[in-house]
Amino acid sequence: MEVKETYNGKIREATIGLGDTAVTVGGETSLPLYMFEGAAPNKPVIALEVYDTKPEDWPEAAIAPYADVLDDPVKWALKCQDEYKADMICLNLASTNPSTGDRNGADIAPIVKAVADAIKIPLIVYGTANADKDAEVMPKAAEACQGKRALIGPVEEENYKTVAAAALGFDHLAAPHSPIDVNIAKQLNILITQLGLAPERVIIDPTTGALGYGLEYCYSVMERLRLAAMTQNDSMTQMPMINQIGREVWKAKEVKTSEADEPAWGDAETRGVLWEALTATALIMAGSNILVMRHPKAVELTRQFVAALTGATN
Amino acid sequence: MALTGIDIFKQLPKTNCGDCGVPTCLAFAMKIAAGQAELAGCPHLSEDAASALSEASAPPIRAVTIGVGDDAVKVGGELVLYRHEKTFFNPCVFAAVIDDGMDAATVDGLLKQTNESRFVRVEQDLKAGLVGVKSLSGDTAKFVALIEKVKAATTQPMVLMCGDPAEMEAGLKAAGETAPLIYAATAANYEAMAALALAHKAPLAVCGTGDLDALVDLVKKIMAAGVKDIVLDPGTRNPKDTLERLVYIRRAALNKKVKELGFPIIVFPNEETDDKMMEAVYAGLYVGKYGSVIMLSDLDAARALPLYVLRQNIYTDPQRPMQVKPGIYPIGNPTADSPVLITSNFSLTYFIVSGEVEASRVPAWLCVMDTEGLSVMTSWAAGKFVPEKIVPFIKGVGIEEQVKHRKLVIPGYLATMSGELEDELEGWNVEVGPREAADIPPFLKTWAS
Amino acid sequence: MSKLIASSAIRGAHSLYNKAEAAYNAALAAKGADQPVSFPDTAYYLPVAYALLAIKVKTLGDIQPVLAKAKSMLPDIPAEDAWLPYLGNTLDSGIAALLSEEIIEAMKYVMGPNPVEGIWLGATDDVIVRTQGIKLVDGSMPGFAAVVGAAPTTEEAVKLATELRERNILLFMAGETDGKTMADQLNEAGVEMGWDVYLVPFGRDISAAVYALGVAARAAMTFGGITPGGMKEAREILMYNKNRVFAFVIALGDVDDEKYATAAGAINFGFPVIANTDIPQILPTGITTYEHVVSNVPLDKIVDTAVEVRGIKIKITKIPIPVSFGSAFEGERIRKEAMFVEFGGQKSPAFEYLRMRDMDDIDNGKIEVIGPEIDQMEEGKAYPLGILIEVAGRKMQSDFEPVLERQLHHLVNGAEGIWHMGQRDMNWMRISKSAHEKGFKIEHFGEILKAKLMDDFPAIVDKIQIKLYTDADKMKEVLEEARAAFIARDERVAGLIDESVDTFYSCTLCQSFAPNHVCVISPERLGLCGAYNWLDAKAAHEINPTGANQPIIKGETIDERRGQWVGVNELVRAKSNNSVQQVNAYSIMEDPETSCGCFECVVAILPIANGVMVVNREHTGETPVGMKFSSLAGSVGGGAQTPGFLGVGRQYITSGKFIAAEGGFKRIVWMPKELKEALAGQLKKRSEALGLPDFVDMIADETIGTTEEEVMEYMAKVGHPALEMDSLLG
Repeated sequence: MEVKETYNGKIREATIGLGDTAVTVGGETSLPLYMFEGAAPNKPVIALEVYDTKPEDWPEAAIAPYADVLDDPVKWALKCQDEYKADMICLNLASTNPSTGDRNGADIAPIVKAVADAIKIPLIVYGTANADKDAEVMPKAAEACQGKRALIGPVEEENYKTVAAAALGFDHLAAPHSPIDVNIAKQLNILITQLGLAPERVIIDPTTGALGYGLEYCYSVMERLRLAAMTQNDSMTQMPMINQIGREVWKAKEVKTSEADEPAWGDAETRGVLWEALTATALIMAGSNILVMRHPKAVELTRQFVAALTGATN
Repeated sequence: MALTGIDIFKQLPKTNCGDCGVPTCLAFAMKIAAGQAELAGCPHLSEDAASALSEASAPPIRAVTIGVGDDAVKVGGELVLYRHEKTFFNPCVFAAVIDDGMDAATVDGLLKQTNESRFVRVEQDLKAGLVGVKSLSGDTAKFVALIEKVKAATTQPMVLMCGDPAEMEAGLKAAGETAPLIYAATAANYEAMAALALAHKAPLAVCGTGDLDALVDLVKKIMAAGVKDIVLDPGTRNPKDTLERLVYIRRAALNKKVKELGFPIIVFPNEETDDKMMEAVYAGLYVGKYGSVIMLSDLDAARALPLYVLRQNIYTDPQRPMQVKPGIYPIGNPTADSPVLITSNFSLTYFIVSGEVEASRVPAWLCVMDTEGLSVMTSWAAGKFVPEKIVPFIKGVGIEEQVKHRKLVIPGYLATMSGELEDELEGWNVEVGPREAADIPPFLKTWAS
Repeated sequence: MSKLIASSAIRGAHSLYNKAEAAYNAALAAKGADQPVSFPDTAYYLPVAYALLAIKVKTLGDIQPVLAKAKSMLPDIPAEDAWLPYLGNTLDSGIAALLSEEIIEAMKYVMGPNPVEGIWLGATDDVIVRTQGIKLVDGSMPGFAAVVGAAPTTEEAVKLATELRERNILLFMAGETDGKTMADQLNEAGVEMGWDVYLVPFGRDISAAVYALGVAARAAMTFGGITPGGMKEAREILMYNKNRVFAFVIALGDVDDEKYATAAGAINFGFPVIANTDIPQILPTGITTYEHVVSNVPLDKIVDTAVEVRGIKIKITKIPIPVSFGSAFEGERIRKEAMFVEFGGQKSPAFEYLRMRDMDDIDNGKIEVIGPEIDQMEEGKAYPLGILIEVAGRKMQSDFEPVLERQLHHLVNGAEGIWHMGQRDMNWMRISKSAHEKGFKIEHFGEILKAKLMDDFPAIVDKIQIKLYTDADKMKEVLEEARAAFIARDERVAGLIDESVDTFYSCTLCQSFAPNHVCVISPERLGLCGAYNWLDAKAAHEINPTGANQPIIKGETIDERRGQWVGVNELVRAKSNNSVQQVNAYSIMEDPETSCGCFECVVAILPIANGVMVVNREHTGETPVGMKFSSLAGSVGGGAQTPGFLGVGRQYITSGKFIAAEGGFKRIVWMPKELKEALAGQLKKRSEALGLPDFVDMIADETIGTTEEEVMEYMAKVGHPALEMDSLLG
């Protein structure tokens, strides 16, 4: 059967972190998971979420695995690293959101530094996607974790000069965030690389929609980016991609609702875990390289999926 | 290359007689080109034209119907490799497999799930679609008894699973004229199975060995025997191999026009792992990548619901967004003093906006207007979310009876029409809300009537 | 090239070199070759030496090759009778001077006295370079100024510092004039200094000025990602500074040889020198972006001159008006009762007009109200208001005038309590009572326009001045000029034909929902949404070079009649993700252009009638093709080629290229009455141009019929020309 495709493009490899525990993503020479047509030297990796303040609106199933560490970002990060074997930590600076905590860069810099210094695995630091606020916070955050080669995001069209410059100046990687739009994703990559950031230091954040909440848009945009990267050798689409899955999934109504409130929906934990795992695996199919997730059981399912689809069988 | 409307029009009578139900021949041709009408709809088509067109307009992947009546399902008929290229047309179906080795309680449990695993989401009725009935014992009587039990318990179409043609024949008789999917023809039994499929007007699954060339040969023989409605099983039982075969089959059918592979595909995540969570994850893989009939070990609600929603997402037409029903959505027991917001009925907009209103913990009235499923900005640009449409909606939807105040919060992106709307919406003040949904909670927390 | 400057710079470099050599030898004798040498907290060694020579100085011994290189670059001092020294010699002496200065400063860290003393901060550590560098890269700090010497008076020093700070320009200070430094002057005046307040005193000696270049060199290495290696990288580092680090040198007071040499070093980085004294100028551009040395600039103009010479863009973060500004106010209306005063709207003469001027003709930022201000106006009345905006920019073109002018509506409406509609000399504005109470004045229109046009269009607007005429007599002359310009613009647009240009523009704004759709915008075919014509697309590309509008070089013509070109095909192929292979810009039947979903109208063939119909989005009724607009839109949209159907902008209907391949305008047999009326003037004009004065009446509408048969009957009755044309289906 002569239906094998040959691709002329390749995803760039990007390395986050330094030294032995650095993690490299990308490098694929075929569409995602199409192991029969190309190489995927680096498997998709999973970052676990850590928040700078105790989250308030998480459902019980998501709280349980972290109940003892939720108010201490350092302990939380270490638990993700040591107990749940995260490949990376994604520190979310939720408390800087102007409508909730509105803490500023100087307030959170010590937290970023403490987490960065405590963990061995690579660090991702994410702002709240409020362009103005992130422009103030992220340079401070980037400074606080200098020397770690972290991934800094999100870089928005409105603040790319500041946030990407912070990544550039403090020698990190940057995650440009585009609103489910192939052309804006490309444009932002062009602007960031023109600013001086090497394309090997760019990870695309295409905006993540959870299962039932816009997943299909995200899926198709990622699929289009990957097709452009592979079949058209379009340089500005050939960066690895990151998806913020945990925070989107665990606010979905079908995930937050307890079995007592909706008996017909079945066990809440099973439902939530699978909701997250299906979102993650669908996005791997669409081309995700870094999955930022929440529930350890969903992480485990996603890992098994990756192993089964990329492992040596036949 | 698909035929254009003009190509089709040239073969039509060019009389604009309207007998097809469409006012003009060109409009009818456009419908055929879009797959929304059948050639047979034109009663005046010449034989030459019919054969010329049906050859060229035959879909590269056949749409196969399983079952009869209201609960029949149609699978296949797909035209693209990637959903953004057009859409995935006929949603895949799931089936829990019941076998004749199970105890009665297990069987009853699975039948109950088959009947009760239903959810309504975004105006769509989500359910499995099929039920699998498998002969494990080799005891025809047991198989027949199980079929009869299933047939009596549910109207969902069946997949009859048995490798012995004689036993299958008995099963088909027990199933009556319900056009179940016959699983499966193999190199060893295909002649007999093909005869059964023809005799019982039932679609036939063809099970391969993992070798696609061999599968093509086998399907060729079955097609030669006259069977038209075929479902393919590549024969692999681990997800890595299955994905490869599924991708190859879809490509061969669409890009290489390999007729023997132009059929929907049946997959068995239930046989690829013993872990039910992993089974669901693999099922998810096949929802996205080319599975049409997906066999599961059960339909436990906590695992079925996410899978159904995934299917709903993947099979949404990218150019025809999902819509929610227009109307007033009270969130968190609002009162006569609670804020009133208006947004579009694009399902994603509704979900995100209602989610943020809920997260604000401020009870509110969310008025969802019919914007034909377009998002706020798109519908505004298309003239569907403009004062002349909003005024009759607000006046007619009944919100004036619900609240004492007259303040309407509009999406921030529509600030440009705030003045015009206020002029036309008599008695109301128009307030410009946030541009991004994420900013709704702080907005509502400081809102005062 | 001035011989005087060259000679001075070369002499200064020699002098600095000698000082460096002496300091080095003294240190070597005292501490030995293994003595570590470094500036504090930097990974870039002696940054200028590292950047330009790729030499990593760690010990005294490592300095030897740096010194040797500096020496090798020292040109001979020109003889008194030499005619024209070579610019290269001057620049080389500048590099030699910087290398020498860096050694002089480094030796202070080895031997003392410590450069960090009193108000002096000495070398800059890497964290500060990074933190400040982010501001340089993101534009919040538009550039930096290195001041050498002192101002004539303390007051003038304070004023200069304030002017620079107001523009967020970082100020470095080094070197003295007659024993005084600018930092001394600020200190005397009690001005607080430091990195946080953008005032950085490096050192008393001129050699401390090298710290500024050390910051610049590290910015290039950090933010430009350049690792020193040799001449190529050194050049990249210098080019990075020229192109991205908007810095300049302000030379105050007497410029001695060493200052000249240092300035020559800065010119290598692309940093021009502005002096307040009468020193020889170097105006022809080359190494710096614009001029090299501009002299004799009065102190109070020095910042503006520097900003202009260096091409610095200042960001305006807050518009100085007494009312709120933002998109949330764009849609508000001001009813008569809420209005304080109004302008135009046929009640009083008014206009808005933007024109391009030469750089020198604009007094940047000036806003003038010519006639009475609002406090001389009475409530409820209409007054004249002429808004004349004059802009200049190195990349400004007269074709962009209308593009910028049309922004006025959206910009003025952004102010709370201000309302605007219309355009040109048919505009209408109101100021509300509440805006008036908050203190809104006529001059604030100028503030809004100045701030937003500069901020939103930095690529094309470098300078702006605004005149607001409220005196009817005084505005007359400008109004006449504006009217003449409006006519000239319309003629220019009308005269633009596809054959007259070699570049079209693509538009891919709609790919978010029609992933493979590309609009090809030519002078005679505007975007199908009707929002972008060729001039708009051209300006949009200039404003945002990486945006959705990209130039298409037409290239070789494949088919003139159908409108097919090699370059257009190539671009469409690439931008449509290979799904569209070729397009005919002027055909509806063969490889027509794709449609996204935003088209103003759909053109559809009526094959039996042998003509085409056009239906606009607003028309909800039946049409002769048997589909309403909504179902037509469904079959046409989505970015696929659909022969027989075309989404178009209204203005395209009367274009000379409207489905030219199928016979053009004369093919039209039906359109809704409303559309006919809206386009009445243009339809008539086009008909007349084709020699068919009565043609418009031959086009049927819904009052005549909504079936193809009724249309055909009417065509026969009126003798429609399409009846005689070739069959559409070929």
